[in-house]
Amino acid sequence: MSYYLLQALNALSFSVLLLLTGLGLTLVLSLMNFINLAHGSFFLLGGYIATQWLASGAPWWLAFPCAFVLTGLIGLLLDRFPFGQFYARTHLMQVLLTYGLAIIFADLMRWGFSADTLTPPLPEILRGGVWIAGLPFPTYRLLIIAAGIALALALWLILDRSLWGAALRACVSDRDIAETLGLNARRIFTIGMAVAAGLSGLGGALGAGMLSVHPGLDEEVLLLALLVVVIGGLGSVKSVIVSALILGFVDTFSRVWLPSFSSAVTLGAMLLILVARPQGLLQAQARTV
Amino acid sequence: MKTAPALAHIRTALAAAAALTAYGALADPYLLRLATEILLVGTAVMSLNLVTGQGGLVSLCHGSLFGGAAYAAAMLAQQTGANLAATLAIGIAAGACLAFLVALVSLRSNGLFFLVVTLVAGQLLWEVVFHWREATGGADGLRGFTSAAGRPWWSQPVWLYAWSAAWACASLMLLRRYLRRPAGIALQALRDQPLRMQALGYSASRIRIGAFALSGAIAGGAGALYPFLNLYISPQAVHWSFSATLLIMGVIGGIKTLHGAFAGAAIYLLIQTYLSSYTDRWQLLIGLLFVVTVLFMPDGVARGLRRRGGP
Repeated sequence: MSYYLLQALNALSFSVLLLLTGLGLTLVLSLMNFINLAHGSFFLLGGYIATQWLASGAPWWLAFPCAFVLTGLIGLLLDRFPFGQFYARTHLMQVLLTYGLAIIFADLMRWGFSADTLTPPLPEILRGGVWIAGLPFPTYRLLIIAAGIALALALWLILDRSLWGAALRACVSDRDIAETLGLNARRIFTIGMAVAAGLSGLGGALGAGMLSVHPGLDEEVLLLALLVVVIGGLGSVKSVIVSALILGFVDTFSRVWLPSFSSAVTLGAMLLILVARPQGLLQAQARTV
Repeated sequence: MKTAPALAHIRTALAAAAALTAYGALADPYLLRLATEILLVGTAVMSLNLVTGQGGLVSLCHGSLFGGAAYAAAMLAQQTGANLAATLAIGIAAGACLAFLVALVSLRSNGLFFLVVTLVAGQLLWEVVFHWREATGGADGLRGFTSAAGRPWWSQPVWLYAWSAAWACASLMLLRRYLRRPAGIALQALRDQPLRMQALGYSASRIRIGAFALSGAIAGGAGALYPFLNLYISPQAVHWSFSATLLIMGVIGGIKTLHGAFAGAAIYLLIQTYLSSYTDRWQLLIGLLFVVTVLFMPDGVARGLRRRGGP
């Protein structure tokens, strides 16, 4: 029993990482109808930033805000050029542009941070484990879970309860009316892009200690984030939370029960959900005029 | 598609056939092998151009259709020693069946949903190929299928080249015809005016499933010949990054054309072959070339240069 409790905690910590990347992707997708295949690169970049920071000896807890700010800054720059010109264009052109950029970023990061698998040196307090129901569990994963819950709460408060979130949601549901009411949609898009990139980078920074960073991680994470977004359906924090939890638990428990076919089982299960609910799990059937 | 003067068409076709034959007769084995690879990969890119350029559906599983057919052909050759015509037939059938299955589940909606479902379906096939070690060799890939066949004549570069050129030309002509037939025109109309087509009573899914299966058959035929190029097939050919590479080639050559696919495949493979011996950063160059193409020549190199050069 306690074994399964620990696996559930493992699944929860993985879900948190999926949640952070998935939230950014869905924000960009529902806000400006923009498919960003370079989203995995932000995750990987965040992971590298955290690894470098933790190795440098500076206060360890600053690594995560630092990764958030730096990747957010990259998102801000990319929004200026070339993403901004592509918000109004077809999905095909967006996919092509962002995938091309993802290739460039992947090669630049392989150049700058080496092609090896890197594990960040964790500070003393996070290195050990705690005993939960008689079995050891890494402290670091508890930190991930705690950070995830805190961030999910904060994001939910900002998006659903604050005026700024209301403006953002107004732009999602009807951009034209929102602009008529005096909201600067273009500026909100820029902020959205920066926050999305920052969240993904933060996910990567937190994930660095759990997954270890290596070239190719960006593509793996991108696939998972796309799954989270499409399974949950667009437009709400709740749907991303639900689908991140589903994906995290299915992935972790298929590793436990069927270790050699775990990825195939996960992908198969996700395919079934997608086929059964093409509009997303929590999405009402969209009306097509 | 405009109806071009028949005479000019025949002249172009004859010139292309003559050029391909002359190249086959004159080139040394190394260049012949490179040209064969360009023809086979280019055919796969062309089948993707049909779905993505003409159909408006971004598919990320065409590498898996190509690779899946390649594995089917390689396994058949290893087990039975069938000849090249039989492996080609198996490849076409495997490609069409796989494409049909993917189309059945993925064509319920387009846009992001289609993209993700094709991606997941392709990766599922990759997982099977990667982990089913007894049949596919797993991560090591599959090799040694000609010695088992006992008839190594078809691995002669010239023969493989001739088959590839024939399949590429046949596919090009088939797709040209298809795009002028009602089904092909309906496919393009669904890309441009989906609601109007629905209102006119066209079944979007039937037209698209048909086009996707045709595209899979063409990619599968090219895939079936591919393992005999190096007498080796690796699971990388089924991975989704290969599907994305096909998309890159398609865009560089011009995603809305058919013949541009070969230009795109040639540019990519030449960069990969020659530049990678000078620098480790060739992927960076490919990425830059790709992004520049998307930004400044969204119709591809062939059309972009023509527009710059004159009318």
